[in-house]
Amino acid sequence: MDGVLIPTLVSGLLLGSLYALMASGLSLIWTTLGVFNFAHGALMTVGAYFAWTVSEQLGLGLFTGFVAGIGAAVIAGVLIELLLVRPFYGNRSMMLITVMTTLAASTILERGISIIWGPRLKQLPRVVEGQVEIFGAPVSAHEALIIVLAPVVLLALWWYTGRTRSGRSLRAVGQNASSAALIGIDVPRTFSLAFGLSAALAGLTGVLLGSIRFVTPGLGTDPLVNAMIVVIFGGLGSMGATAGAAYVIGMMEALLILWLGLYWTPAVLFMALILVLVFRPNGLFGRAA
Amino acid sequence: MTRNQRLVALAALILLALVPAVVTDTYTRHIFIVAFIYGTVAVNWDLSLGLAGLFNFGHLAFFGIGVYTAAILTTALDISPWLAIPAGGVTAAIAALVIALPVAKLQGIYVVLVTFAFGQLCMQVVLSQGDLTGGAEGLVRLPYLSIGDYAFIRDFRFAYYYVALGLLTVSVISLLLLAHSPFGKSLRAVRDNPDYAAARGISVARQRVLVLVASAVFTGIAGGFYAIYLRVASPEVFGFSVATLILSMVLIGGAGSILGPVFAALALTFATEAMAGTRGLEEARFIIVAAAMITVLRIAPSGAINIFSRFLTSGRKT
Amino acid sequence: MSRLLDVQGVRAGYATVPVLHGIDLHVGDGEAIGLFGPNGHGKTTLLHTISGLLTPTSGTILFDGQDITGAKPSAIVAAGLVQAQQGNTLFGDMGVEETLELAAFSPRARDGWQTRLEEVHSLFPRLAERRRQRAKTLSGGERQMLSIGCSMMCNPRLLILDEPTLGLSPRLKAELRDAISEIARRGVPLIVVEQDVEFLLALAGRLYLVEQGEVASEIDRDNAPDHQEIMDMYFGKQAH
Repeated sequence: MDGVLIPTLVSGLLLGSLYALMASGLSLIWTTLGVFNFAHGALMTVGAYFAWTVSEQLGLGLFTGFVAGIGAAVIAGVLIELLLVRPFYGNRSMMLITVMTTLAASTILERGISIIWGPRLKQLPRVVEGQVEIFGAPVSAHEALIIVLAPVVLLALWWYTGRTRSGRSLRAVGQNASSAALIGIDVPRTFSLAFGLSAALAGLTGVLLGSIRFVTPGLGTDPLVNAMIVVIFGGLGSMGATAGAAYVIGMMEALLILWLGLYWTPAVLFMALILVLVFRPNGLFGRAA
Repeated sequence: MTRNQRLVALAALILLALVPAVVTDTYTRHIFIVAFIYGTVAVNWDLSLGLAGLFNFGHLAFFGIGVYTAAILTTALDISPWLAIPAGGVTAAIAALVIALPVAKLQGIYVVLVTFAFGQLCMQVVLSQGDLTGGAEGLVRLPYLSIGDYAFIRDFRFAYYYVALGLLTVSVISLLLLAHSPFGKSLRAVRDNPDYAAARGISVARQRVLVLVASAVFTGIAGGFYAIYLRVASPEVFGFSVATLILSMVLIGGAGSILGPVFAALALTFATEAMAGTRGLEEARFIIVAAAMITVLRIAPSGAINIFSRFLTSGRKT
Repeated sequence: MSRLLDVQGVRAGYATVPVLHGIDLHVGDGEAIGLFGPNGHGKTTLLHTISGLLTPTSGTILFDGQDITGAKPSAIVAAGLVQAQQGNTLFGDMGVEETLELAAFSPRARDGWQTRLEEVHSLFPRLAERRRQRAKTLSGGERQMLSIGCSMMCNPRLLILDEPTLGLSPRLKAELRDAISEIARRGVPLIVVEQDVEFLLALAGRLYLVEQGEVASEIDRDNAPDHQEIMDMYFGKQAH
């Protein structure tokens, strides 16, 4: 069993890292604006394709590609906020309307990408080549990098929202926008900041994912549903709980794949989610509203 | 409904019933049939999303479950398509019951997330159970409908046209009856004023379960018919694009208005089919539909969602 | 005395309901003024309009000679016109000290924020005791102190206080009033909304009675009304 268990746990850690990166981006926008961004996965795809074009097609190198990918995602994210979220700010049905507009944005981005880049599969090169061992299990160095990078990014985000002026302003706006305005915080600018930051996270996740999976128009939207399961488990309110839930789900998924195979894992995961919700409507780690 | 609206609906039905006499080419009839199917799905989505104000974003899962029920029953078990189509309604209703369990208790965004995730999960299950569902390729060459020796595929879509129109008509009439029943009225009352539920001792959880199951029945049947009609079941029915298309029918037609989405379904199906036939627009049509939906939301943000209450008040006044 | 704030003919309201029907008032540099009047007659609407949370439908607001009519709230705070919100409505999940530090947000508030934090602590020693506590766990009086403290952290050139003692116990009321008087003594110009006209008269040079969206009368120490006259203003002459 030992020979299988450790690689499984490592792959669970990798999945958990990806979900944590995705879910923290979703949670950042939710806690600041009360908007769930269904285009988050499509922003990951945008990042991966721009990175591929700059790094592979134009041959400008992987680092430039990463910067371009993240930059493109940020621009797309800020545009989504300006065009599809801001017009509805203050509307009674804002949450519902923005679900639909960001869903539409996701369709537009995904289809737009497949028009521009065509259906051929692409792949980004790995940031680092070679293999490393984690607890005796061989892992590609690139995957190990993701496993290390995710907690670093999460800690940086935690430090940013807790310790810096602009990070704290995000939390203040999320908790009480009019009080925030009265101490001089530019609320609309903070909304753009939240979307931009979340899109940067999406872009980063996209380019990292683009070198362990094929870059397709569905690159980001496919794992989005698992990120959604994560935020339902963890509740959207707190970044810590969301990150915790991401690793729990990642581990569960890896173990279920080991025990049940790839086929039944999504269904069992979802059934577990439904059971949790029947007994704890605020999520596994969520506090009562 | 006002008398005028009833007359318009009746006139539209008579006109639609006469279409095959005038329109004889298979392709145009085909678009009508697809529009009737999409219309059925859209009005039933409107029941949960518009009329009951339940943030259900997994409606297409009920459709897809209907599609695959009919496809699997006819291919793996050799059951008659006449039985397989209604069976789609049964399985969709059962699925609705399962998803209603958590949804009955949840609030706001979590309803959106759970229902949406449910739809995506159905797609993953279909993709992973390749032996039964054909995986990504789907199932093809399903049996067609026939009565005795009369095969529905050799009459230039004449019979299919009436089956589809009948399905849409029965579905719309049931929904109108439901909307005007005491249950429909209590749904709207709770949607517009959640405190009302507590004051009148209405169980919101029970309402939600009933609404989801009711909206799934005809949607599942429509799915079953869609599979048998096209003779194909493909996992694409669970995707973002179809969901956006049908959702835009609900919104452009005016959520909560029941008849509105029917007309929007006709208009949008013809529009997207025309675009699908135009070079360069095959992929772009989904972008155009999504942009149209956003435009509607920007022009009438709450209008698109709350039109039904106005529709009804104007109906009561006349 | 030069006018620090000059409100001229301001009309404003919510959606289709007009609340203010042409308000004129002004605050001199170094002056404290009071606003009073029955509830629901537009005092809070007026303050929200001055702070930029609401845009007036007509009229002009000048602050330090600059036209700030319809400016963004953040720009108005950056100019030094700061309003403390009626209590209870801060950032529930943020700590006391964190909130105060954040309140030194606009550029004019950044230099010397440590000094101002000490000033706030000397004004409200309780905030120093509770620096790690979350805002939502504070009592009503402490929240009010935090709200005023936040406004002080903004380095105000004019401070607006909207019913700072609403719903507090007599002892806390007295404590807060001492602090407000202390703020005035430190030379911060004030607009204070209060129901207690005697307190306002002790604090402020001039008082405006706001009634039905208009300034019904202006009072200064020289024509200060007695208790009966104040009751008449509130309830009308027919009350007795």
